[in-house]
Parts: sequence; C-alpha cells; structure tokens
Amino acid sequence: MAGNFWSSSHYQQWVLDRQDLYRERHNDLTILSEDEYQKIMMLFANVIQALGEQLKFRQQVIATATIYFKRFYARNSLKCIDPWLMAPTCAFLASKVEEYGVISNSRLMTTCQNIVKNKFSHAFNGEYPYRTQHVLECEFYLLEMMDCCLIMYHPYRPLVKFCADLNAEADLLPVAWKMINDCLRTDAPLLYPPYLIALSCLHMASILKQKDIKGWCADLNVDNDKCMEITRTMVSLYELWKTYDEKKEIQAILAKMPRPSPSRPPSEATNLQDNNSQQQQQNQQQQMSSGVS
Amino acid sequence: MQKYEKLEKIGEGTYGTVFKAKNRETLEIVALKRVRLDDDDEGVPSSALREICLLKELKHKNVVRLHDVVHSERKLTLVFEYCDQDLKKYFDACNGEIDPDVVKSFMCQLLRGIAFCHSNNVLHRDLKPQNLLINKNGELKLADFGLARAFGFPVRFYSAEVVTLWYRPPDVLFGAKMYSTSIDMWSAGCIFAELANAGRPLFPGNDDDDQLKRIFKLLGTPTEDTWPGLTQLPNYRPFPMYHVSTTWQQVVPKLNSKGRDLLQKLLVCYPPDRMSAEDSLQHPYFVDVNPSVK
Repeated sequence: MAGNFWSSSHYQQWVLDRQDLYRERHNDLTILSEDEYQKIMMLFANVIQALGEQLKFRQQVIATATIYFKRFYARNSLKCIDPWLMAPTCAFLASKVEEYGVISNSRLMTTCQNIVKNKFSHAFNGEYPYRTQHVLECEFYLLEMMDCCLIMYHPYRPLVKFCADLNAEADLLPVAWKMINDCLRTDAPLLYPPYLIALSCLHMASILKQKDIKGWCADLNVDNDKCMEITRTMVSLYELWKTYDEKKEIQAILAKMPRPSPSRPPSEATNLQDNNSQQQQQNQQQQMSSGVS
Repeated sequence: MQKYEKLEKIGEGTYGTVFKAKNRETLEIVALKRVRLDDDDEGVPSSALREICLLKELKHKNVVRLHDVVHSERKLTLVFEYCDQDLKKYFDACNGEIDPDVVKSFMCQLLRGIAFCHSNNVLHRDLKPQNLLINKNGELKLADFGLARAFGFPVRFYSAEVVTLWYRPPDVLFGAKMYSTSIDMWSAGCIFAELANAGRPLFPGNDDDDQLKRIFKLLGTPTEDTWPGLTQLPNYRPFPMYHVSTTWQQVVPKLNSKGRDLLQKLLVCYPPDRMSAEDSLQHPYFVDVNPSVK
C-alpha cells in the first residue's frame, strides 16, 4: 500500500522513540550486552532472509517479515516467545499480508527445518522443535502485539523515486538498495520513517561512489540530524561486521539469551500476560540450580 | 469479549458470522465479526487479514470503521461500527421506489468511499449492494474488504476470481489479470443503475457467457477498434455483434439526463476509458447533491 504514509499506522504507531525502545529492552540488556542483543537480532534477520529466499519471496515480503519480528521484540523480552518460533511466524504472516500467495504452513515448516539444519547449524543444535500449530498460535500473539498494524512502508520505493529524480538508477540505486537490506540488521526501521532511511542510504552510496549529490540534497527539507543518526547506525553496523564471525560467536551468545521456561510446553510459554510469573519461575530455577552447584 | 453483549445474528460474512452486539460500558451498538479458523493450515485467513490491515489504515466516513480487533480464547473478533442495513436490504424494503435525491446521495457517497480507497491505493474488488452499509442517518459505507488488496506494486498479477458476477467488468470476465481501479468503477456503474431502478439489477447474468451477452446487448459488442488488446485477453472468445436497440432512457427511465451521462461514462467496456471516482465526483450530476452529504 503506497497510500498516505503520514496517516498510516506505520507512522502513527510504529515509529518508535529510542528511549522507549531501550526502556522496553532494559530487562534483556541486564543479561545481554547491546552488541550481543544486536547480534541475536542479526541472526534472526538472517534466518528470515534465508527462509524468504528459499520460499522465493520478494525482498519486500522479507523486509516486512523482518520488521514484524523487530516490532514484537521491541515490546517483549526475548524470553516471551522463542525467536526460533517467531522468525517463521513472521515470514508466514508477511506472506499473507503482502499477498505473496499463501504458502502452505507445512511447506513453511519443512523449509524452516531444512534451513536451520543446513544453514544455521552453527546456531541451532538438534532437531527443529516447532510445528504448524505452534506457528498458528504464535501468529495470534504477533497480531495482537502489533495491534494488527500490518501494512508496512519500506525505503525501497522512495529510493527508486529519488534515484529516478537523480538519474542515478545505474550507479547509486544498487548500492543504496543493498544498504537498505543491511539496515534491516539494525534498529533503524523501528526508529525512523522509511524515506529518511532511503535518503541516508542514498547519501552513503553517493559517498562510496564519489558522486556529488550535495546540491540535490540541499534542496530537500528533511531532518538532517535524523539522517546523521541513521548514517551512524549504519556505520557502526559495518564496523561490527568487520570483526564479527557469526559462525564462531553466536552459540555462546545464544546460550546467554533469556528463553521461555523449558518446563512449560511452548503453547503455554507464549502466554504474555504471564510474563512476571514466568520470570519469577525462571529466577527460582536459576537460584535453585546455582544453589545445587 | 465480556465487554460486548451479543444481541442477534446479522449474517454470514466471507469468513465468519456477524453479530449485532452492545458494548456493556459505552452502550454503543457494534457489529462483531468472528473470524473462523477452520482451515488448520492457513491460520488467520488471508481474507480476514486483508480486511484487518486495510481497514486499520482507511479511516473515512464512507468506509466502515473497524473499532477494534479482540483476541480471546484463540479466536479473533473484529469490532465494526454498526449500520442498520445494507443496500440489498434497503432495496428489498423500498417498494420499488427510491427518491432521486436519495439515489444521488447514495451514489455520491459510494464514489467518495471509492475515491478515498483508490487514493490510498486500495482496490475493493467486490463492490455490490450487500457490501454497502447504510445507517439510519442515510450514510453509506463501503464494507467487506475481504477481497480488497493494496495495489501499486508493479509486475504483479492479480487473481481473476474477484467481484460477484453481476458486478464484474467485461475485462475481468475475459480473464484480465492486470486490472486496476477501473474494476471498482464498473461495479459502481452497475450499482448506480440498480439504485436508479430501485433495486432491479442491471446485468443479472447466470454465468460468464450470459453476463457478457447482457453487457454487450446494452453497450454493443466491443472490437479491437473500440478495445485495443481485446482479443489477446486470456479467456477471450468472440461474441455475436449485437445491434444496440435499447436506449439509456429505457434502461434507467427515472434517472435524469446528467445521471444517464455519468452512468454511460462508468459503464465503458474498455477499462482505461472508464471514468475514475475522482472525476465522477466532479460530474454535473452532483452539482445539486443534498448539502448534508456535501
């Protein structure tokens, strides 16, 4: 839907404030460092990407699924619902909303099992545990948590328009497009409107390609501070990537990740209202186990 | 769900039962649409999802308002504003007589609702009297967005299985998959004629062939000259060259000449020549529309 962004649920309900985001994330960040948290988010963005590519989704559908995932954990701890279940659920919901043509859930689950086994064995040991009924149940919580705001605006469209305006379809568009994909590995899609992300990526691409678009940018009436923030976010992502080897490090990080209480079946562990009691239970378990050792 | 007291069953929607209900706190009357989750593989049906996510974005007085989506006991209930009846029931109750000012007011509101959807890049795809709700203030609202879709993504093929037969345009009947806003404008034209004739459907076909015959008997059979690309459509088949023998005055005797002119501009076989909702609203027919609608 390319209707009116300013009156959309995306703009009105889902462009979040950084402070709010960190407040919600606070509990997880007592256990994980910010870096580790981002690496977990990056892992699952990769899982969704791999899943989408395998199912031949368009990039737009993959981006939507990735942002659903981010929206859920922007309001919930990682321990509320296992992200290994949330990732395919987001892909499933996005494929329906974007009218990709509904994929059968069983095909989704088979693909998910294969991907976890073949591409993410460095992150997941053993048999992929979730089944169709878990995804259907999870879909419910995802819908509720997002307040049914399902229509998503992405930076791809504004980017294409900007590039057409700049006559930069050949040189800047592919570079900036790729940066927008990379951007899905950061918090930026939760914090900034898509057209600003498009602009920032275009600007970075112009620097990389040494093409002067300053004049064009100067004519725009946009929030430069926000563009700078996005640029900084992207630069730190690229810095992180320089030294980060997911295959080597992710397992240790995932071991720390707060998880749903294993004593409860997944169908009950997803009860969001029950967060506190779950947390207490988990604390007790941790205390007990540390007491024994 | 305790918030709502169910009053009576209103009907069956695309994907679930619709109830009239009362909000126990505010006493507001609402319509509850319970989403059936019978297909174990699909989860929340995509028709329900489409309706939810589009109506979440579309807020206009001629589009039915989705107040809330309630999750309970693993069921999904959509809470809509309540309207007393739909246009189909209105027809049934009107005794073959609708005031020309009411026809104009309804048509104007229908076009405004459509124009708003189209300006938000949403196609309704299933406009028909049953999907147009009317409240006691004479306000008309587009409802049932179960088949609607957001458009604007290029290189996508749409399903050809949309729109109830009687309101389906000839291009879709010939299997066209690249339709656009013009699909809703044809339906609007059919509804306009039906309004003007107090509920007598314009093209009540029995099947695809009969439907096309009825259309071509009134408008003349299109040719490659009047409709470039016609013979390339997936399900194109030749039809007899009907001689147009009915005048528009015979088709809609109670409609004035301006109204007939608008109707002819909507019921055009070649989709790009069909008048848009935005342009239709500027048509002289609406110059003296009831100020309460304006």
